[in-house]
This record gives sequence, C-alpha cells and structure tokens, in this order.
Amino acid sequence: MAATSEGVKPVQDEPQLVERVRRGDRDAFAALVDRYADQAFAVAYGFLRHAQDAEDLVQDALIRALERIGSLRPGSSFGPWFYRLLVNAALNRREYLARRGTAQLPVGVPARDGPAVDAERAELQQRLARALSALPRDLESVVILHDLEGFTHPEIAGILGIPEGTCRSHLFRARRMLRDLLKDYRHQ
Amino acid sequence: MSDRYDEAPIPELEALKPPLRSDIERRRARQRVLACAEPLLARRRRAGSSWEVLAAWARPGLVAASVVLAILAAALKLGGGPARPVPEPVLLDDVLATGANGSVPALLVAMSEPDIDAVVAAALIETNGSSGALPQEQLQGR
Repeated sequence: MAATSEGVKPVQDEPQLVERVRRGDRDAFAALVDRYADQAFAVAYGFLRHAQDAEDLVQDALIRALERIGSLRPGSSFGPWFYRLLVNAALNRREYLARRGTAQLPVGVPARDGPAVDAERAELQQRLARALSALPRDLESVVILHDLEGFTHPEIAGILGIPEGTCRSHLFRARRMLRDLLKDYRHQ
Repeated sequence: MSDRYDEAPIPELEALKPPLRSDIERRRARQRVLACAEPLLARRRRAGSSWEVLAAWARPGLVAASVVLAILAAALKLGGGPARPVPEPVLLDDVLATGANGSVPALLVAMSEPDIDAVVAAALIETNGSSGALPQEQLQGR
C-alpha cells in the first residue's frame, strides 16, 4: 500500500525539504510533488470520483500547501498536514458541485472485460458513490482513507485531527452503514 | 487487529479505485503543478534574499552598537569615582587684585586656562611697566 510505504509516514529528509521549499527551492518542491502527487490523486479521486476533478484538486492543494507552508511548524511532517488540506478541499469541492447540481458520475476503469461486465461495474460504482455520499462527512473520510487508500488508523487520526479510537469507531459505523445501503445490490 | 470494531471490509469498494494514469498524464500533471508553483517559489526566493541582505546589514550594525555600548559602559564605570574638580577660569578681577602677581608668569602657573580678559590685562600690565596699575581710562573702558 502506498500510504503505509511512503504516504503520510514522515520521511527522514522531509523537514529539510520543507525548509528548502520555504526558501523557494524548486527542486525541493518538485521532490515533495513526486512523493505525494500519486497518492493525493487517489485520495482526491476517492472523494470526487472524477479523474480530471481529482487532478485539478491535487494541483490546487499542492499550490495551497506551498502558499501556507510557513504555517507548518518546523520539524513537523508534511504528509498529514498536506492530506488534511487535501481532504478538506475535496469535501468542500464536492459540496460545491452538489449545490450547483453538477456532481459527477463516477468514471470507471477503462473497458476491458466486455460491455456487460463494464455496465455492471458502472452500476456498482454509481451505487457505491451514492452510498458513500450518504455517509456523514467524517465517516466517509475514514472509509475512503482506510479501505480505499490503505492509510492506517494512526495516519488517518493525524490527517483528520481525531483520536485513533474515534477513527476506528467511525470505520466500524461506516462499514455497517455501507452494508445496509448496498443490501439491495448484494441480493440481486 | 481484533477489537470490538470488527466489521469486515467491503470488497465492493475496490470498484472505486482510481483509474490508472499513464506516465504522460502524470508527467503533464507534474509540469502543471510546477509551472503554477514557480511564481510563488520565486517570491519566496526574493523574500529570502531580502532578509539575507537585511541580516548582512544588521550584523555590522549590531557589532558597532555593541562596541559603542561597551565603551560607554566602561566610561561610566571609570567615571563613577569621585568627580574631578572642574578648574575655574582665571578671572580679570583676580588678576587685577593680585597686583604684581597678575602677570604672565602668574597666568602660566595658574591651574586652569585664563579668561581672555585676564590675558589682555596681564599683557597691558607687562607693557605699562612693573607698577602693576592699568591706566585709568583703560579700566573705565572696561
């Protein structure tokens, strides 16, 4: 899992990289982008379910992180701080799209298995997307970060700024609610 | 990990995994981010160099201020003992009152610099002879 191998875990040279970015070092910022962009795209996609929106959101979040990097305490880890920024931006973006009535339908993996399988997958994706969106914000964030992106509970607790126990209970409740919401589909 | 929160993961969620991006898409995304970041990074570099210049200026200033403060402190410490008596200037009246002593040698041995009038008076006394008396009109003129 990308999250546990290189995701939010503080990397040894990260405080130095952050310090160099503070001074305007292009290479240091590029290194942070290379380190986080893929995982950030996956997280953003988990919330928005639209590749181009996710791409735009990651770009915005990285630029916002650069603007605010002065507020990151020296020596503290970039990852959890950045992911918190990204998750908040993703939730705000989705609410904005929902208010405008332009929420995106999920864009699936490119067709591989024939039209029938693809249609079934598309339906499942839409059901899942609707079920996830029906969850309370905190619960949805936890289930996306944990079950989709493979972040651990301590990492999620760091990102969302909640105790680890709360994170576990959120995941438990989220899974139970999702099962209920997907009951019909499973019985088909 | 087994705990009271033991609801099993939902396998269907796998269907929401993000699509794989091609290397070209990823490279393009990276270039876009770096292009957007460049003005911000440049501003940070400029701000950083301004501070460095200010710091470079401030350093000798601080050293100079410290030296001045140290000198002032030393001067205050040394001058903290009993105050030296400020010598009074030699006045014309003193020169006239001393009569014969109101002469150039008297001024030379005085403890302090003489008043300008005393110097003039001593010069006149010397010129007008050893009587030590100034001409009446000159005294009245003063």
